[in-house]
Amino acid sequence: MKARVRRWLEEGTVDVFIGYRQVDGHPLPYCFTRENLDALDGLINSPARYALEKIATHLASRQPDLKIGILSLDTNRRALNVLGIWNQINPENITTVDADDAASGVATPDDMRTFEPVVPGPYKQQVGIDNAMSPADAEAFDQSERFSRWMYEFEKCIKCYGCRNICPVCFCRECSLEHRDLIGTGPLPPDVPIFHLVRAVHMAGRCIDCGLCEEACPADISLRLLYRKVNQILDNVFEYQTGSDPGQPPFSLLGNQVTLEPKPLDADK
Amino acid sequence: MECELVPSVCSYCGTGCGVLFEVIDKELAGTLPMKTHPVNEGKLCIKGWNLHEHINSPLRLKQPLVRSFGRFLKTGWDEAIAIAARRFREIIDQYGPESVGVLVSAKITNEENYLAMKLARAVLGTNSVDHCARL
Repeated sequence: MKARVRRWLEEGTVDVFIGYRQVDGHPLPYCFTRENLDALDGLINSPARYALEKIATHLASRQPDLKIGILSLDTNRRALNVLGIWNQINPENITTVDADDAASGVATPDDMRTFEPVVPGPYKQQVGIDNAMSPADAEAFDQSERFSRWMYEFEKCIKCYGCRNICPVCFCRECSLEHRDLIGTGPLPPDVPIFHLVRAVHMAGRCIDCGLCEEACPADISLRLLYRKVNQILDNVFEYQTGSDPGQPPFSLLGNQVTLEPKPLDADK
Repeated sequence: MECELVPSVCSYCGTGCGVLFEVIDKELAGTLPMKTHPVNEGKLCIKGWNLHEHINSPLRLKQPLVRSFGRFLKTGWDEAIAIAARRFREIIDQYGPESVGVLVSAKITNEENYLAMKLARAVLGTNSVDHCARL
Protein backbone atom coordinates (compact mmCIF):
# COMPACT_ATOMS: atom_id res chain seq x y z
CA MET A 1 0.00 0.00 0.00
CA LYS A 2 2.75 2.42 0.94
CA ALA A 3 4.46 1.39 -2.29
CA ARG A 4 1.27 2.12 -4.21
CA VAL A 5 0.92 5.59 -2.73
CA ARG A 6 4.60 6.20 -3.44
CA ARG A 7 4.07 5.19 -7.05
CA TRP A 8 1.03 7.43 -7.33
CA LEU A 9 3.03 10.39 -6.04
CA GLU A 10 5.98 9.63 -8.32
CA GLU A 11 3.81 9.12 -11.40
CA GLY A 12 1.68 12.16 -10.66
CA THR A 13 -1.60 10.27 -10.18
CA VAL A 14 -1.88 12.34 -7.02
CA ASP A 15 -0.05 15.54 -6.07
CA VAL A 16 -0.72 15.20 -2.37
CA PHE A 17 -1.84 12.24 -0.27
CA ILE A 18 -3.72 12.93 2.96
CA GLY A 19 -3.31 10.18 5.56
CA TYR A 20 -2.12 9.86 9.14
CA ARG A 21 1.33 9.84 10.65
CA GLN A 22 2.63 9.62 14.19
CA VAL A 23 3.84 13.13 15.15
CA ASP A 24 5.13 13.81 18.69
CA GLY A 25 3.42 10.60 19.86
CA HIS A 26 0.05 11.59 18.43
CA PRO A 27 -1.54 10.10 15.32
CA LEU A 28 -2.20 13.25 13.29
CA PRO A 29 -3.41 13.98 9.76
CA TYR A 30 -0.44 14.35 7.46
CA CYS A 31 -0.08 15.52 3.87
CA PHE A 32 2.40 13.36 1.99
CA THR A 33 3.98 14.98 -1.06
CA ARG A 34 6.38 14.13 -3.86
CA GLU A 35 9.10 16.25 -2.22
CA ASN A 36 9.15 14.13 0.92
CA LEU A 37 8.59 10.52 -0.16
CA ASP A 38 10.52 9.06 2.79
CA ALA A 39 7.80 10.25 5.16
CA LEU A 40 5.56 7.58 3.60
CA ASP A 41 7.24 4.95 5.79
CA GLY A 42 5.27 6.47 8.66
CA LEU A 43 1.86 6.25 6.95
CA ILE A 44 -0.62 4.77 9.42
CA ASN A 45 -4.33 4.44 9.94
CA SER A 46 -5.38 6.38 13.01
CA PRO A 47 -7.88 5.25 15.65
CA ALA A 48 -8.64 8.96 16.18
CA ARG A 49 -10.61 10.11 13.17
CA TYR A 50 -10.23 13.51 11.53
CA ALA A 51 -12.18 14.96 8.62
CA LEU A 52 -9.45 14.44 6.01
CA GLU A 53 -11.85 15.34 3.21
CA LYS A 54 -12.36 18.77 4.79
CA ILE A 55 -8.62 19.39 4.50
CA ALA A 56 -8.95 18.27 0.87
CA THR A 57 -11.66 20.87 0.21
CA HIS A 58 -9.44 23.59 1.70
CA LEU A 59 -6.62 22.55 -0.63
CA ALA A 60 -8.96 22.30 -3.63
CA SER A 61 -10.43 25.74 -2.96
CA ARG A 62 -6.93 27.21 -3.27
CA GLN A 63 -5.81 25.09 -6.21
CA PRO A 64 -8.80 23.54 -8.00
CA ASP A 65 -6.78 21.25 -10.30
CA LEU A 66 -4.78 19.67 -7.47
CA LYS A 67 -4.96 15.87 -7.53
CA ILE A 68 -5.59 14.61 -4.03
CA GLY A 69 -5.36 11.11 -2.57
CA ILE A 70 -7.16 10.34 0.67
CA LEU A 71 -6.97 7.48 3.13
CA SER A 72 -10.68 6.76 3.55
CA LEU A 73 -13.12 4.96 5.71
CA ASP A 74 -16.79 4.57 4.80
CA THR A 75 -17.63 7.94 6.33
CA ASN A 76 -14.90 9.71 4.36
CA ARG A 77 -16.24 8.23 1.13
CA ARG A 78 -19.81 9.28 1.90
CA ALA A 79 -18.56 12.78 2.74
CA LEU A 80 -16.60 12.90 -0.53
CA ASN A 81 -19.76 11.90 -2.40
CA VAL A 82 -21.70 14.75 -0.79
CA LEU A 83 -18.89 17.26 -1.35
CA GLY A 84 -18.69 16.20 -5.00
CA ILE A 85 -22.45 16.58 -5.45
CA TRP A 86 -22.30 20.10 -3.98
CA ASN A 87 -19.30 21.11 -6.15
CA GLN A 88 -16.86 21.54 -3.30
CA ILE A 89 -14.40 19.13 -4.87
CA ASN A 90 -14.01 17.66 -8.32
CA PRO A 91 -14.41 13.87 -7.91
CA GLU A 92 -12.10 13.39 -10.92
CA ASN A 93 -9.22 14.80 -8.88
CA ILE A 94 -9.80 12.54 -5.90
CA THR A 95 -8.28 9.09 -5.43
CA THR A 96 -9.12 7.12 -2.32
CA VAL A 97 -7.38 4.27 -0.50
CA ASP A 98 -9.47 1.97 1.61
CA ALA A 99 -8.32 2.17 5.22
CA ASP A 100 -10.66 -0.67 6.24
CA ASP A 101 -9.04 -3.04 3.84
CA ALA A 102 -6.80 -5.45 5.80
CA ALA A 103 -4.75 -5.91 2.67
CA SER A 104 -4.03 -2.21 2.49
CA GLY A 105 -0.96 -2.70 4.66
CA VAL A 106 -1.58 0.52 6.56
CA ALA A 107 -1.38 -0.60 10.14
CA THR A 108 -2.97 0.86 13.21
CA PRO A 109 -0.19 0.77 15.80
CA ASP A 110 -1.07 -1.44 18.79
CA ASP A 111 0.31 0.90 21.42
CA MET A 112 -2.01 3.73 20.47
CA ARG A 113 -4.91 4.32 22.76
CA THR A 114 -8.25 3.68 21.20
CA PHE A 115 -11.44 5.40 22.13
CA GLU A 116 -13.74 3.54 24.48
CA PRO A 117 -17.45 4.19 24.08
CA VAL A 118 -18.48 6.82 26.61
CA VAL A 119 -20.95 5.53 29.21
CA PRO A 120 -23.41 8.29 30.15
CA GLY A 121 -23.44 9.33 33.80
CA PRO A 122 -26.44 8.55 36.04
CA TYR A 123 -27.89 12.07 35.80
CA LYS A 124 -27.78 12.08 32.02
CA GLN A 125 -29.46 8.68 32.01
CA GLN A 126 -32.17 9.98 34.31
CA VAL A 127 -33.04 13.28 32.61
CA GLY A 128 -31.20 13.37 29.28
CA ILE A 129 -30.79 11.40 26.11
CA ASP A 130 -28.25 8.60 25.96
CA ASN A 131 -26.01 9.21 22.93
CA ALA A 132 -26.07 5.50 22.08
CA MET A 133 -29.89 5.35 21.75
CA SER A 134 -31.50 4.54 18.44
CA PRO A 135 -34.01 7.09 17.09
CA ALA A 136 -36.82 4.61 17.90
CA ASP A 137 -35.71 4.32 21.56
CA ALA A 138 -35.52 8.09 21.89
CA GLU A 139 -39.04 8.39 20.51
CA ALA A 140 -40.46 5.84 22.96
CA PHE A 141 -40.69 8.45 25.76
CA ASP A 142 -44.04 10.23 25.99
CA GLN A 143 -44.14 13.67 24.46
CA SER A 144 -43.54 15.87 27.51
CA GLU A 145 -40.73 13.68 28.81
CA ARG A 146 -39.15 13.53 25.38
CA PHE A 147 -39.27 17.33 25.16
CA SER A 148 -37.74 17.83 28.60
CA ARG A 149 -35.02 15.26 27.93
CA TRP A 150 -34.03 16.91 24.65
CA MET A 151 -34.19 20.36 26.21
CA TYR A 152 -31.84 19.13 28.95
CA GLU A 153 -29.38 18.17 26.23
CA PHE A 154 -29.72 21.41 24.25
CA GLU A 155 -29.48 23.65 27.31
CA LYS A 156 -25.95 22.36 27.98
CA CYS A 157 -24.79 24.00 24.73
CA ILE A 158 -21.99 26.57 25.14
CA LYS A 159 -22.33 27.70 21.50
CA CYS A 160 -18.75 26.83 20.57
CA TYR A 161 -19.80 26.11 16.96
CA GLY A 162 -17.59 23.00 17.20
CA CYS A 163 -20.27 20.78 15.63
CA ARG A 164 -20.35 23.04 12.60
CA ASN A 165 -16.61 23.66 12.43
CA ILE A 166 -15.63 20.00 12.52
CA CYS A 167 -18.38 18.87 10.15
CA PRO A 168 -16.85 17.61 6.88
CA VAL A 169 -19.92 18.65 4.88
CA CYS A 170 -20.38 22.13 6.40
CA PHE A 171 -18.86 24.45 3.83
CA CYS A 172 -21.28 27.38 3.41
CA ARG A 173 -19.64 30.79 3.27
CA GLU A 174 -22.58 32.28 5.10
CA CYS A 175 -23.97 30.21 7.95
CA SER A 176 -27.49 30.60 9.35
CA LEU A 177 -26.04 29.97 12.80
CA GLU A 178 -24.00 33.17 12.43
CA HIS A 179 -26.50 35.30 10.56
CA ARG A 180 -27.45 38.39 12.54
CA ASP A 181 -31.16 38.15 11.72
CA LEU A 182 -31.47 34.42 12.44
CA ILE A 183 -29.32 33.24 15.34
CA GLY A 184 -26.36 35.57 15.52
CA THR A 185 -22.99 35.13 17.13
CA GLY A 186 -22.21 36.32 20.62
CA PRO A 187 -25.14 36.21 23.04
CA LEU A 188 -25.14 33.36 25.54
CA PRO A 189 -26.91 31.14 26.42
CA PRO A 190 -27.85 30.19 22.86
CA ASP A 191 -31.49 30.10 21.78
CA VAL A 192 -32.57 26.54 22.52
CA PRO A 193 -33.84 24.51 20.84
CA ILE A 194 -33.75 26.81 17.77
CA PHE A 195 -29.96 26.75 17.41
CA HIS A 196 -29.86 22.95 17.29
CA LEU A 197 -32.99 22.51 15.22
CA VAL A 198 -31.79 25.00 12.59
CA ARG A 199 -28.59 23.03 12.31
CA ALA A 200 -30.53 19.74 12.24
CA VAL A 201 -32.73 20.97 9.38
CA HIS A 202 -29.68 22.14 7.45
CA MET A 203 -28.16 18.69 7.88
CA ALA A 204 -30.87 17.24 5.64
CA GLY A 205 -29.10 15.93 2.55
CA ARG A 206 -25.71 16.73 4.05
CA CYS A 207 -25.22 14.62 7.20
CA ILE A 208 -23.33 11.43 6.42
CA ASP A 209 -23.55 10.13 10.01
CA CYS A 210 -19.82 10.27 10.75
CA GLY A 211 -20.35 11.29 14.39
CA LEU A 212 -17.49 13.81 14.45
CA CYS A 213 -19.87 16.51 15.77
CA GLU A 214 -20.73 14.44 18.81
CA GLU A 215 -17.06 13.64 19.45
CA ALA A 216 -16.21 17.34 19.29
CA CYS A 217 -19.07 18.52 21.51
CA PRO A 218 -17.71 19.78 24.85
CA ALA A 219 -21.22 19.52 26.35
CA ASP A 220 -21.80 15.92 25.22
CA ILE A 221 -25.08 16.65 23.42
CA SER A 222 -26.61 13.70 21.51
CA LEU A 223 -26.12 15.39 18.14
CA ARG A 224 -25.53 12.24 16.14
CA LEU A 225 -28.86 10.80 17.27
CA LEU A 226 -30.64 14.03 16.33
CA TYR A 227 -29.18 14.02 12.82
CA ARG A 228 -29.86 10.28 12.52
CA LYS A 229 -33.53 11.09 12.95
CA VAL A 230 -33.21 13.69 10.19
CA ASN A 231 -31.64 11.07 7.94
CA GLN A 232 -34.41 8.62 8.83
CA ILE A 233 -37.06 11.13 7.74
CA LEU A 234 -35.12 11.76 4.55
CA ASP A 235 -35.07 8.05 3.84
CA ASN A 236 -38.74 7.42 4.70
CA VAL A 237 -40.27 10.49 3.06
CA PHE A 238 -37.91 11.32 0.21
CA GLU A 239 -36.15 7.97 -0.29
CA TYR A 240 -32.87 9.87 -0.19
CA GLN A 241 -29.83 8.20 1.34
CA THR A 242 -27.29 10.96 1.82
CA GLY A 243 -23.85 10.25 0.42
CA SER A 244 -24.71 6.75 -0.77
CA ASP A 245 -24.05 7.49 -4.42
CA PRO A 246 -21.71 9.98 -6.11
CA GLY A 247 -24.23 10.33 -8.96
CA GLN A 248 -27.26 11.32 -6.89
CA PRO A 249 -28.61 14.88 -7.27
CA PRO A 250 -28.30 17.36 -4.38
CA PHE A 251 -31.17 16.91 -1.94
CA SER A 252 -34.11 19.18 -2.67
CA LEU A 253 -37.28 19.45 -0.61
CA LEU A 254 -39.21 20.01 -3.84
CA GLY A 255 -38.13 16.71 -5.35
CA ASN A 256 -36.04 16.09 -8.42
CA GLN A 257 -38.68 16.06 -11.10
CA VAL A 258 -40.96 18.83 -12.23
CA THR A 259 -44.43 17.34 -12.05
CA LEU A 260 -46.32 20.37 -13.33
CA GLU A 261 -46.89 20.70 -17.04
CA PRO A 262 -44.56 23.49 -18.20
CA LYS A 263 -46.49 26.35 -19.70
CA PRO A 264 -45.19 27.97 -22.88
CA LEU A 265 -44.37 31.64 -22.43
CA ASP A 266 -46.79 32.70 -25.14
CA ALA A 267 -49.70 30.59 -23.82
CA ASP A 268 -52.07 33.56 -23.47
CA LYS A 269 -51.73 34.69 -27.09
CA MET B 1 0.83 23.12 -2.68
CA GLU B 2 2.20 22.58 0.76
CA CYS B 3 -0.07 21.56 3.63
CA GLU B 4 1.05 20.87 7.16
CA LEU B 5 -0.86 20.10 10.36
CA VAL B 6 1.09 21.51 13.25
CA PRO B 7 0.32 20.36 16.80
CA SER B 8 0.32 23.12 19.37
CA VAL B 9 -1.23 24.25 22.65
CA CYS B 10 -4.04 26.77 22.75
CA SER B 11 -2.71 30.11 23.94
CA TYR B 12 -6.01 31.40 25.23
CA CYS B 13 -6.22 30.28 28.84
CA GLY B 14 -4.40 28.19 31.41
CA THR B 15 -6.18 24.94 30.53
CA GLY B 16 -3.76 24.04 27.78
CA CYS B 17 -5.94 22.33 25.16
CA GLY B 18 -4.17 20.58 22.30
CA VAL B 19 -4.84 22.17 18.92
CA LEU B 20 -3.81 21.40 15.37
CA PHE B 21 -3.04 24.29 13.08
CA GLU B 22 -3.85 23.75 9.44
CA VAL B 23 -1.07 25.52 7.56
CA ILE B 24 -1.52 25.74 3.79
CA ASP B 25 1.33 27.31 1.83
CA LYS B 26 2.77 28.91 4.98
CA GLU B 27 -0.55 30.50 5.78
CA LEU B 28 -2.61 29.58 8.82
CA ALA B 29 -5.90 28.37 7.34
CA GLY B 30 -7.66 26.73 10.26
CA THR B 31 -7.63 25.31 13.77
CA LEU B 32 -8.72 21.80 14.79
CA PRO B 33 -8.90 20.15 18.20
CA MET B 34 -6.30 17.43 18.75
CA LYS B 35 -8.23 14.20 19.28
CA THR B 36 -5.62 12.32 21.28
CA HIS B 37 -4.59 15.21 23.52
CA PRO B 38 -5.09 14.21 27.18
CA VAL B 39 -6.40 17.65 28.20
CA ASN B 40 -9.23 18.31 25.76
CA GLU B 41 -9.76 14.91 24.05
CA GLY B 42 -10.86 16.39 20.75
CA LYS B 43 -12.98 19.24 22.08
CA LEU B 44 -12.46 23.01 22.04
CA CYS B 45 -14.32 26.12 23.15
CA ILE B 46 -15.19 28.89 20.72
CA LYS B 47 -11.98 30.77 21.47
CA GLY B 48 -9.82 27.78 20.66
CA TRP B 49 -11.72 27.10 17.45
CA ASN B 50 -10.94 30.64 16.25
CA LEU B 51 -7.22 30.90 17.08
CA HIS B 52 -6.28 31.32 13.42
CA GLU B 53 -8.63 34.28 13.10
CA HIS B 54 -6.59 36.25 15.63
CA ILE B 55 -3.34 35.63 13.84
CA ASN B 56 -4.69 36.60 10.42
CA SER B 57 -6.78 39.52 11.66
CA PRO B 58 -5.92 42.89 10.10
CA LEU B 59 -6.60 44.41 13.53
CA ARG B 60 -3.79 42.41 15.13
CA LEU B 61 -1.33 44.55 17.09
CA LYS B 62 2.16 43.92 15.74
CA GLN B 63 4.14 46.72 17.34
CA PRO B 64 3.85 48.85 20.48
CA LEU B 65 1.64 51.93 20.51
CA VAL B 66 2.30 54.94 22.70
CA ARG B 67 -0.52 57.29 23.64
CA SER B 68 0.45 60.82 22.93
CA PHE B 69 -2.05 63.69 23.16
CA GLY B 70 -4.94 61.21 23.17
CA ARG B 71 -3.84 59.36 20.06
CA PHE B 72 -2.03 56.06 19.71
CA LEU B 73 1.21 56.37 17.78
CA LYS B 74 3.23 53.42 16.49
CA THR B 75 6.69 53.18 17.94
CA GLY B 76 9.62 50.80 18.46
CA TRP B 77 10.11 48.47 21.45
CA ASP B 78 13.10 50.39 22.88
CA GLU B 79 11.22 53.66 22.92
CA ALA B 80 8.03 52.09 24.34
CA ILE B 81 9.93 50.37 27.16
CA ALA B 82 11.88 53.56 27.91
CA ILE B 83 8.66 55.56 28.16
CA ALA B 84 7.04 52.92 30.42
CA ALA B 85 10.12 52.79 32.67
CA ARG B 86 10.25 56.59 32.95
CA ARG B 87 6.58 56.80 33.94
CA PHE B 88 6.97 53.98 36.51
CA ARG B 89 9.95 55.85 37.96
CA GLU B 90 7.94 59.08 38.23
CA ILE B 91 4.92 57.37 39.83
CA ILE B 92 7.00 55.35 42.31
CA ASP B 93 9.08 58.42 43.28
CA GLN B 94 5.96 60.49 43.83
CA TYR B 95 3.49 58.02 45.42
CA GLY B 96 5.63 55.10 46.61
CA PRO B 97 5.98 51.55 45.19
CA GLU B 98 2.64 50.39 46.65
CA SER B 99 0.88 52.64 44.14
CA VAL B 100 1.84 50.23 41.34
CA GLY B 101 0.25 46.84 40.65
CA VAL B 102 1.06 44.10 38.14
CA LEU B 103 -1.58 42.08 36.36
CA VAL B 104 -0.25 38.86 34.82
CA SER B 105 -1.97 36.51 32.40
CA ALA B 106 -2.89 32.91 31.71
CA LYS B 107 -1.87 33.48 28.12
CA ILE B 108 1.83 33.61 29.00
CA THR B 109 3.89 30.73 30.35
CA ASN B 110 4.48 29.79 33.98
CA GLU B 111 8.04 31.00 33.71
CA GLU B 112 7.02 34.36 32.30
CA ASN B 113 4.49 34.74 35.11
CA TYR B 114 7.28 34.01 37.59
CA LEU B 115 9.48 36.66 35.98
CA ALA B 116 6.63 39.19 36.09
CA MET B 117 6.22 38.46 39.81
CA LYS B 118 9.97 38.91 40.27
CA LEU B 119 9.86 42.23 38.44
CA ALA B 120 6.96 43.39 40.62
CA ARG B 121 8.53 42.41 43.95
CA ALA B 122 12.24 42.95 43.35
CA VAL B 123 12.30 45.83 40.88
CA LEU B 124 9.09 47.81 41.35
CA GLY B 125 8.81 46.90 45.04
CA THR B 126 5.11 46.07 45.20
CA ASN B 127 3.27 43.01 46.47
CA SER B 128 0.20 43.79 44.37
CA VAL B 129 0.40 40.99 41.79
CA ASP B 130 -2.81 39.60 40.40
CA HIS B 131 -3.85 37.18 37.69
CA CYS B 132 -6.71 37.22 35.20
CA ALA B 133 -7.65 33.64 36.15
CA ARG B 134 -8.08 34.41 39.87
CA LEU B 135 -11.86 34.46 39.57
